Amino acid sequence: MAAALELRCWGGDWGLPSVHSESLVVLAYSKFSGAKLTVCPIDWTWKTITASVPELLCGDAVVQEPAQILHFLRKQRFNADYELTARQGADTMAYIALLEEKLRPALLHTFWVDAENYSNLTRPWFASRSPFPLNFVVPSRQASAALSRILVTKGEAPLHRISEVEGKIYSDAKECLNLLSYRLGKTKYFFGNSPSSLDAFVFGFLAPLFKATLPSSTLQSHLKQLDNLTHFCDNILAVYFSAQNPSLPPPVQETMDANLQKLTQLVNKESNLIEKMDDNLRGSPQHKTHRAESRARVSTVTD
Amino acid sequence: MNVCVFIPTAAEPWPENATLYQPLKEDQILLSDCASSLAVQAYLRMCGLPVQVVCRANAEYMSPSGKIPFIHVGNQVVSELGPIVQFTKAKGHSLSDGLDDVQRAEMKAYMELVNNMLLTAELFIQWCDDATAAEISRPRYSSPYSWPLNNILAYQKQWEVRRKMNAIGWGGKTLEQVYEDVSQCCQALSQRLGTQPYFFSKQPTELDALVFGHLFTIITTRLTSGELAERIKGFSNLLSFCRRIEQTYFEDKTKNTKLSKFV
Repeated sequence: MAAALELRCWGGDWGLPSVHSESLVVLAYSKFSGAKLTVCPIDWTWKTITASVPELLCGDAVVQEPAQILHFLRKQRFNADYELTARQGADTMAYIALLEEKLRPALLHTFWVDAENYSNLTRPWFASRSPFPLNFVVPSRQASAALSRILVTKGEAPLHRISEVEGKIYSDAKECLNLLSYRLGKTKYFFGNSPSSLDAFVFGFLAPLFKATLPSSTLQSHLKQLDNLTHFCDNILAVYFSAQNPSLPPPVQETMDANLQKLTQLVNKESNLIEKMDDNLRGSPQHKTHRAESRARVSTVTD
Repeated sequence: MNVCVFIPTAAEPWPENATLYQPLKEDQILLSDCASSLAVQAYLRMCGLPVQVVCRANAEYMSPSGKIPFIHVGNQVVSELGPIVQFTKAKGHSLSDGLDDVQRAEMKAYMELVNNMLLTAELFIQWCDDATAAEISRPRYSSPYSWPLNNILAYQKQWEVRRKMNAIGWGGKTLEQVYEDVSQCCQALSQRLGTQPYFFSKQPTELDALVFGHLFTIITTRLTSGELAERIKGFSNLLSFCRRIEQTYFEDKTKNTKLSKFV
């Protein structure tokens, strides 16, 4: 490998390495295929408005869009689909099309168009990750892009309103979740015992829906009833994303951002820890855990 | 949606005078609409449900969803293959009852692959390739209307499709990339079909109708360049699949199969 691979994506939260579906697809695939990516979250930088996310940089080459990035990684011999038969490769394409057509519109709606989720979860999250004054622009720009995508692809006549397509996109999405659940059945991954591209895509689409604390979501409660799909997400998080830090430190020129980010990550981690701790542990060892945390972090940085 | 409309009358049998509406066959209809219409016709023939095909210049505006084709059965109007499949199912006619849950998931996934790749590619070539749009799509689409309405409607339609392509990220694609996508999609369909007569062995399903509608129309339609059809002709099992469905379900109309003239 000549050049280092660098991935620009949205950062992590809610117990996920990234809150952004497409970024999550690429992160999951890189873990499955063993590609070593330097992850550069675009949080708190001006790239929140300029960058197309996710974006893979390899020397002079710039690759965008999850499907293209996966293709690029495969050409670099990071292939998680090596053991698939031609028929399984065909199935992968078909199920990815199913996700795109049936699940994506409802996901966009859940996170960006549903007023309650947008104002309580999505807008605050993305606004707090964008530097002033972009925090006023970034979320609303993404929301309007999501809305127009839903209307253009699923709205029937050109001037139809969003309320007329909501029912349809949610019933499509629930059907899609059911179909995925049937297809996965009791197996660990979609094709046998090792994960492939399709697992990366399904994980990327489902994990944010599963892990986000959405104030209003019929789709989330539907997903939570499908035990095999939620186990599938938890299993991938546990096997591929638990040992390491969710997001690696950004490059040197962004030290300010990096420091700020580290601090916030520590605070987040700590508050998570506090929640988990028993009452009797809550007093003294907190500081100790914190130090152990940062030491672990430093060691991964030097890696 | 139409789904809730037909529940009260679901038990009524299929009437003799059911009609399917599509744009004018000779002068107006475009590749993508023709493919969707043929898919529905193939589906209804596979179900053994008689339907009379009627061509109307304003079919697009008659359709409840603005999409081609739609069927008029009794006092109900249903458009597009998906809702039509549900509609016939409510009347007791279904091709996919014999499938188990996993097979049904697979069938739906491949149907979305066709919609996501083939249908989008057809729309792209029709409206985003300048040569095809100027020579074929705009003149044909607006043929029933006089100046200046013909130009207004054709450019409005073109703008609408281009907006959709931009929204789904196809806006920056070149023609060559689109042909490559079509090849990949056909490769996947060909792999899935293998040596079986239909996608789920012996009996046809709505997936077979959909694939037939698109592939057959692409092969038998002349565009400014024959590249799209050439991409499909590389897959011999898909060709014999189209020939098989044409012979089995459309034989009565044409003595010489239409496909043989093009392959």
